[in-house]
Amino acid sequence: MTREVTVTRWALGRLLVALPVVLGVTTLTFVLIHVAPGDPIYLLAGDGGSPAYYAEMRAKYGLDRPLVEQFVRYVHAVATGDLGYSFMFQSPVLRLLLDHAAASLLLGFAALVLGSAVGFGAAVLCVVTQSRGLDALVRGAATVAYAAPVFWTGQIFILIAAVKLGWLPVGGMSSARETLVGVEWMVDVARHLLLPAVTLALPLAAVVARVSLASLIEGLRETHVRATYARGLSRARVIGRHVIPNALVPVTALVGQHAADIVAGAALTEALFGWPGVGYLVLHGSLHRDYPLVTAAFILISTSVVMFNALSDAAIAWLDPRIRLR
Amino acid sequence: MSAAACADARRDQEEAAPTTLVVSQGGDPGALNPAVTTSGNTHPVTDQIFNGLVGLDEQLNPIPELAERWDVENDGATYRFHLRGDVRWHDGEPFTSADVKFTFDEALLKYHSRTRAALEGLLTRVETPDAHTVVMHLARPYGPLLQRLDVVEASIIPKHQYAGHDLLSGEPTRRPIGTGPFRFVSYTPGDRLTLERNPDYFRQGLPGVDRLVFRILPNPVTAVAALENGEVDYIGSVPGPDVARLRASPAIAVVPSTGGSGGSVCQDVLIPNVTRPPFDRLPVRRAFAHALDRRFIVERVYFNQGRPATGPISHLLAWAYTPDVRQYPHDVSEAGRLLDQAGLPLGAGGERFGITFTHASNHQRLGQVLREQLKAVGIRLELEVLDFNAQVEKVFVKKSFDLGLASFCNGADPDIGVRRVYVSSNIGPFPFSNGAGYRNPRIDALFEEAASVVNRDERRERYVAIQRLLAEESPYFWLIDSEGLRAHRRAFTGFRLWTGAFAETVRRAPPTTDE
Repeated sequence: MTREVTVTRWALGRLLVALPVVLGVTTLTFVLIHVAPGDPIYLLAGDGGSPAYYAEMRAKYGLDRPLVEQFVRYVHAVATGDLGYSFMFQSPVLRLLLDHAAASLLLGFAALVLGSAVGFGAAVLCVVTQSRGLDALVRGAATVAYAAPVFWTGQIFILIAAVKLGWLPVGGMSSARETLVGVEWMVDVARHLLLPAVTLALPLAAVVARVSLASLIEGLRETHVRATYARGLSRARVIGRHVIPNALVPVTALVGQHAADIVAGAALTEALFGWPGVGYLVLHGSLHRDYPLVTAAFILISTSVVMFNALSDAAIAWLDPRIRLR
Repeated sequence: MSAAACADARRDQEEAAPTTLVVSQGGDPGALNPAVTTSGNTHPVTDQIFNGLVGLDEQLNPIPELAERWDVENDGATYRFHLRGDVRWHDGEPFTSADVKFTFDEALLKYHSRTRAALEGLLTRVETPDAHTVVMHLARPYGPLLQRLDVVEASIIPKHQYAGHDLLSGEPTRRPIGTGPFRFVSYTPGDRLTLERNPDYFRQGLPGVDRLVFRILPNPVTAVAALENGEVDYIGSVPGPDVARLRASPAIAVVPSTGGSGGSVCQDVLIPNVTRPPFDRLPVRRAFAHALDRRFIVERVYFNQGRPATGPISHLLAWAYTPDVRQYPHDVSEAGRLLDQAGLPLGAGGERFGITFTHASNHQRLGQVLREQLKAVGIRLELEVLDFNAQVEKVFVKKSFDLGLASFCNGADPDIGVRRVYVSSNIGPFPFSNGAGYRNPRIDALFEEAASVVNRDERRERYVAIQRLLAEESPYFWLIDSEGLRAHRRAFTGFRLWTGAFAETVRRAPPTTDE
């Protein structure tokens, strides 16, 4: 069988697995958000109205229908590509999600690259230098960084880097005071990106550092690695050629698992920094019981979890010749 | 160089550029039609784009806006408005009486929850004898009509834009056309909303800034940091713990405010469920009122953003307010005595009975303080913390609660925001109604009378009687007459903080200030 055929078959298999997952998440989200206390009609229609008024408004938004009927209608609409209409934004959900996806992807990938690079880099540095002090520092910092919640670290960064030192902006994706274009705009966005990206990257860097350290050290003890030493290769070459590539396998799996979380689920970080992404939509949608928005966002998130898992599997297969796509 | 000095230097460089006022906004406004919603996220924006027939002065008295004058006829059952002749919509079309009629008939009376609740069945007909006259016929005399016609309660929208469109979500709600001081430019949900100066505004020389940007910052901590950093110029609320720090900053002014788009003249009120034990009995309610240390709560929970409340009308509504009612000073022994008399003696472990306090997560501090204060009189308080929406539903809609909490805004007249909390016709089940479930025919009659006379002194008599009777009965526990704080950078001045159109008169401060 040729490699192309294998890959195609594998991809199709993944898609088949993804369908029930996404349907399950949709059902669960739909049921959960509807049974959770809180009624969207008062946020939609405002306070102080009469019962007749609320009844009219419920009918207008289809909220007076039985839950099962609402669900069947919803699934049918989604299947035909209609993700519904957001109560809160009075706008099609699909358009909202697409409009906000770019900001989330930018923040997510920046955090992913930063977190993986810093985490793996720190681990490699520990192994190469063999410094006990550095090792203790990295392990300690990783424990703290992993334990600290993002809304706390984010606030600390804002207070220090933005308010006290005035180096970086506090919130948003670009400056509200002036309208910038071209390179100036890109620099402006990069300045706004830095704090949220670092905040989001920190816990990832911590996990990556710990897992990398463990697999690098394990790699150094492998017999084939010791054999290369015996053949007189330099330490740097041994680590670069034989230890790092093997250590990348578990790290890639780990980053793959976290990627979907980071890209789609950075709600707290986005809300803290006023970053206009999907996470912000989900958070506000949940607080306002914006059923169509929240359900659609979870469909998007579950789809991307499946997708990122598949991508990380593919990357592992490419890194590790023993693993084959099936 | 400090951050503040940095920001000031940055500002100096911009002196020649167009002035931009950046305002922090907590959430997305969504659709931008002010005549169909009471949303606290929509109105701060749209109140800068639209106008009401009348405005409100600092004492919340009606002043001319789209109507340059009015006659009250027929003992207050007919109002004749004479509209300005020089007003144009942002797209250049002239503003006429047809717009006013359309707004009332098609938008306000159908979709604006508060205005519809108040005027449905009362405002029987809107007539337009000519292009610049509007006559409102009421079913009976109604004193507080004018206070209901400002931009917050009754923004006027253009008929030529909306006719034939869905008023809740149609195309005109995305690109709003108003008559107000600012014109709509763009809106990116979750990010910002940009307005620009309306050069043809009917009030000459206004507004005083060229651009007005609403930056969406959902987290209050971030909003405060952005103000300190100079990224935003104005925040509409100041978290208690930040007040002292912002006051100490030379570049920032912290100012009290009693009104605006989010609701004016508000009180935070504890809501007992008076339809079931233990709060169905007056001695228990009185004992409970004596157990509360309001002064401590105002200082430690609200960081002095207001004054201890004495009754159902805020002292800020000065013409209607009276402090001359039964008071419930903090008195643990009196509370104990009343509860003993009521047959609720101290049991084993120093406890008389237990109740649950259903509240939103932003009031956790209040919950903890209440628990301690009530423990002193032998009442055990269980804390039930929910998100805002769920808590509102549990208290006002499902009514399965012992004790709840709400911020009730009085509005520009007691008939707008006070009446709904106490009359038996408004027991719900819907949010911000008479959540306690209190019924008193005398109170119902007094509110009815107070609304149907036009003379303010005569109305005051009724409201004084209402306050005395309610204080005797204590169907609610009034905690604080809120005076929320707002903060702005001193580079700008002229904020009108009692009305929805807070930005209309804002201008850059003269360089002689300490900036």
